[in-house]
Amino acid sequence: MNVSFSTTDGLATDSATALDERPSAEMQIESKECVLVEAINMALHYEMAHDASVVVLGEDVATNGGVFRATLDLKQAFGAERVRDTPLAEGLIAGLSVGMATQGLKPVAEIQFMGFMFAALEQLICHAARMRNRTRGRLTCPLVVRMPFGGGIHAPEHHSESTEALLAHIPGLRVVIPSSATRAYGLLLGAIRDPDPVIFLEPKRIYRAQAQSICNDGQALPLDTCFTLREGEDVTLISWGALISECTQVVEQWHEQGISVELIDVATVSPLDMATILQSVAKTGRCVIAHEAPKTGGIGGEIAAQLAEHALLDLKAPVLRVGGYDTVMPYAKKEALYLPGVAEISNAIEQVLAFG
Amino acid sequence: MRGRHQFSIHFLQYLDPKGNLDLPLPEWTRDRPLLLSIYENMVLARLLDQKSVALQRTGQMGTYPSILGQEAISVCTGLAMAKNDVLVPYYRDAPAQIIRGMSPAEIFMSWGGDERGGNLNTASRDLPICVPIATQLTQAAGVATALKIKGEDSVVVTSCGDGATSKGDFMEALNLAGVWDLPIVFVINNNRWAISVPLAQQTRAATLAQKAIAAGIEGIQVDGNDPIAVYEAISKAIERARQNNTPTLIEALSYRLCDHTTADDASRYRDADELQTHWQEEPILRFQQFLHQQGLWDAEREKALQSRCQQTIDQAVEEYLAVKAEPTTAIIDYLHAFLPYTLESQRSEIQQKEAPVNT
Amino acid sequence: MKFFKLPDLGEGLQEAEIIEWNVAAGDTVSTDQLLVTVETAKAIVEIPSPQAGMIAATFGQSGDIVHLGEPLLEFVSDEADNATVVGELQTVSPQPDADEHFIIGSPKAPSQHQAIRATPAIRALAERLKVDISKVSGSGKQGLIKVEDVERVARLESEKGPSTPLKGVRRFMSLAMSQSHAQVVAVTINDDARLGNWAKKEDATLRLLRAIVAACQAEPLLNSWFDAEAMTYRSLATIDVGMAVDTPGGLFVPVLRDVAKRSDKDLRSGLNRLKKDALKRRIPVNEMQKPTITLSNFGTIAGRYANPVIVLPTVAILAAGVIRDEVCAVKGKAKVLPVMPLSLSFDHRLITGGEAARFMAALKDSLEG
Repeated sequence: MNVSFSTTDGLATDSATALDERPSAEMQIESKECVLVEAINMALHYEMAHDASVVVLGEDVATNGGVFRATLDLKQAFGAERVRDTPLAEGLIAGLSVGMATQGLKPVAEIQFMGFMFAALEQLICHAARMRNRTRGRLTCPLVVRMPFGGGIHAPEHHSESTEALLAHIPGLRVVIPSSATRAYGLLLGAIRDPDPVIFLEPKRIYRAQAQSICNDGQALPLDTCFTLREGEDVTLISWGALISECTQVVEQWHEQGISVELIDVATVSPLDMATILQSVAKTGRCVIAHEAPKTGGIGGEIAAQLAEHALLDLKAPVLRVGGYDTVMPYAKKEALYLPGVAEISNAIEQVLAFG
Repeated sequence: MRGRHQFSIHFLQYLDPKGNLDLPLPEWTRDRPLLLSIYENMVLARLLDQKSVALQRTGQMGTYPSILGQEAISVCTGLAMAKNDVLVPYYRDAPAQIIRGMSPAEIFMSWGGDERGGNLNTASRDLPICVPIATQLTQAAGVATALKIKGEDSVVVTSCGDGATSKGDFMEALNLAGVWDLPIVFVINNNRWAISVPLAQQTRAATLAQKAIAAGIEGIQVDGNDPIAVYEAISKAIERARQNNTPTLIEALSYRLCDHTTADDASRYRDADELQTHWQEEPILRFQQFLHQQGLWDAEREKALQSRCQQTIDQAVEEYLAVKAEPTTAIIDYLHAFLPYTLESQRSEIQQKEAPVNT
Repeated sequence: MKFFKLPDLGEGLQEAEIIEWNVAAGDTVSTDQLLVTVETAKAIVEIPSPQAGMIAATFGQSGDIVHLGEPLLEFVSDEADNATVVGELQTVSPQPDADEHFIIGSPKAPSQHQAIRATPAIRALAERLKVDISKVSGSGKQGLIKVEDVERVARLESEKGPSTPLKGVRRFMSLAMSQSHAQVVAVTINDDARLGNWAKKEDATLRLLRAIVAACQAEPLLNSWFDAEAMTYRSLATIDVGMAVDTPGGLFVPVLRDVAKRSDKDLRSGLNRLKKDALKRRIPVNEMQKPTITLSNFGTIAGRYANPVIVLPTVAILAAGVIRDEVCAVKGKAKVLPVMPLSLSFDHRLITGGEAARFMAALKDSLEG
């Protein structure tokens, strides 16, 4: 299996320029079959080995290697000073990270599940997102907060929500969501190297779903840009995170019927790379947005609004959103009722095609 | 863990409200310039405070939280710290910030609606003032962790009010400082009031210092209007933190002789008699009397000092009022290190706007 | 290659209409096997396969317009097969391809459809009034179609019946003529050539070609390409004559190459084939491109003089009308001679009147000899 990237001109983002390639003379570059969570682990190992200012902290991250094993063996490799089990307090984890970041460290904190991030929000919203602005650049906050998110793993209550839109609404926070092992590796490196706070949401449903061969070369992927996973002409399908899997199946299904669907992985949900989306919709004239989060107030609504503002004359059909229902995430037995799947996404595509 | 444990909280006071000595003076008080510096900075703090309120009352500055009557705590915090230490202040810490290099004009800017006040014009790594209550405390723990990881011998001093001790952040930070042996000193300015809510409604605990016991760290209560006690407690705590990574919680008992902020009216909820009583204990007069008793002060010196401080403040006001407006795009230029391209159109829109009149 | 995209079939051709698919999804094709027949602005073109392989999908049906760079068909790619390689791994749900080919941002040269600029309400209005919105020209900003534009077309259609959209060759003619009219400063001069010396069954077209060669040798500047934007011209060594051929589909202008160097017989057989191809609308792409000068022999039908229109980037076109008998003054005496009316248009931005007149004189000399 090969991994290849291509860049288009004109879309090199500012964060891309902030990324530096790190040729590792001392480290042998190896390729490894990794699932998504292993790719995250590999990126953390890489960056801790190459940047002494990177510190990992959170609940159960050190000795236990994280409840999902995302931080496995970091403590053994880099010591207890740089890999820290914190007391069980999310607000503390975030506050610590802000404090560390202002002093030149690059903390990578883990919130064990996104459902427990709310105590940390005050620090992220009131401080991490504002430190640079408040001090006119004197102090900065280059931190990463990793959180597993999303449903589909039959977890107890509070372990399955997708509240990325809450975070995306905050100026000064970047919100990045990988959808494959390859992109998890590259985007996490990009997030750690970003000079500003990044919330890194990990779609835990696909943590171990798919192995890919990843070259551990420390090559970051740019933030603030979408990834076009499939080129197509008839419909633009936009999604992120775990739902990309279902979207890919939908693309295949329609392809068999002669309809080519362009699949875009938003990847950085804030700031939103609308240029890529607009370019695609100018071509296809039809757009479906799929996300696990409740439909109302979701990022799908923001994308749809921007399409209404900028792409009205390109649209051949209304922009449709496929989302979770506007209700609390049901317990495990009924979560399948809530989660949008292949059928719902496919149905939306059928609807936009029906407009001719 | 099992067993019977007994704890006590020590209360430290050298000067009684009249400036008389309760205890033999500590060694460091032989440093006369330091004693005078404490006094001078308190006087400057009070003048700055008065001017800030005046600027607000005349529409030249925004809401300001006065520190009237609590000057000793912040001044001694600033003076006890080494240059390389890091201050993580709350919003009633202007005196400490000035001692650490911030100009009075920058204090005015901070409260006058100009983010450049948080820039400090210095290479300082002190955090800016923190408005959300108690959130600075976990950050301070993070700063202390960073200093430790980096192998520095610097320490962190962080402060908060009595209201902040009701928040989880306070206990979380205290607790962590103990678990991680952090080089940090927590200073509570217990001025008895959280806006309109008196301390009795914040906690049933006899002292705030005893909250250190639950975190397994040192806790001490001092008379916060006694500069000698405050300086002694803070400097000793800093020394312990520097030598042994031992954290300390200091509860400095004081009293808010002012409103919560210029937007508040304390007469709505506070008894005038109570206020009068506490005016008898305020730190500046107390320390002045002490200095007189020590033969270190007289009316002439007082006059000279007042005029010197007034001059400093007047200059600062002049500087503050003359400060040039930032470019309009400053409101978005400091959001990220690099402006995401998605914000370029908003930035251009901002650029087209006229700069507001600088007040 | 996964997607085979509409290639550049001739300069300036931005689109083609699919006439017929010669293959379908599932077919295995060999290199150069005929895939699809399309009609461009200039001709019907058969597109061969660039590679051997199996067709995964074809895009578009007969009558659809495909734009330059848009995919015509997709080959089954070897890469897609890799997707199942990871089957031995534990997966909790069906997954995307394990091989991660993705584009950072958007595809490199996205094909922009020539969007019809109309809001949904206007489109709905057009639908209600049964107006094909693609036939409506917008009077608003940047061609934005407005209510009154749709209503105007609706009124017209209800009164006069539906309009017929221009397609293919006639569409190209229309665009080329408009372009010429907008840019070229054309001057036409007329004269008659006396054909008293002609044999009984003289091949008029051949003679005209020979005359053009002679005239171009006399005045080479008329055999040039002109670029007004760059203010440059290129005087051309070979003479490639665009032959205006009238067909039911519209005006075709196939090119007769290097006329100066070819024998009469060769030219004649070339002419015959060209005409046949044009009528069938199947002209090899290389014979559709880049004339250096144009000849319109409308005299085979009817008409005397004309003001023929120059096609950019050439600078001259010659038209010949019907040969007629006319009383001519020859050495002071009236004599009936066959006479050929000539019309020469030249682009006055490059060519002077004198040059054109001398060109005409050389033409006449050649024809009358």
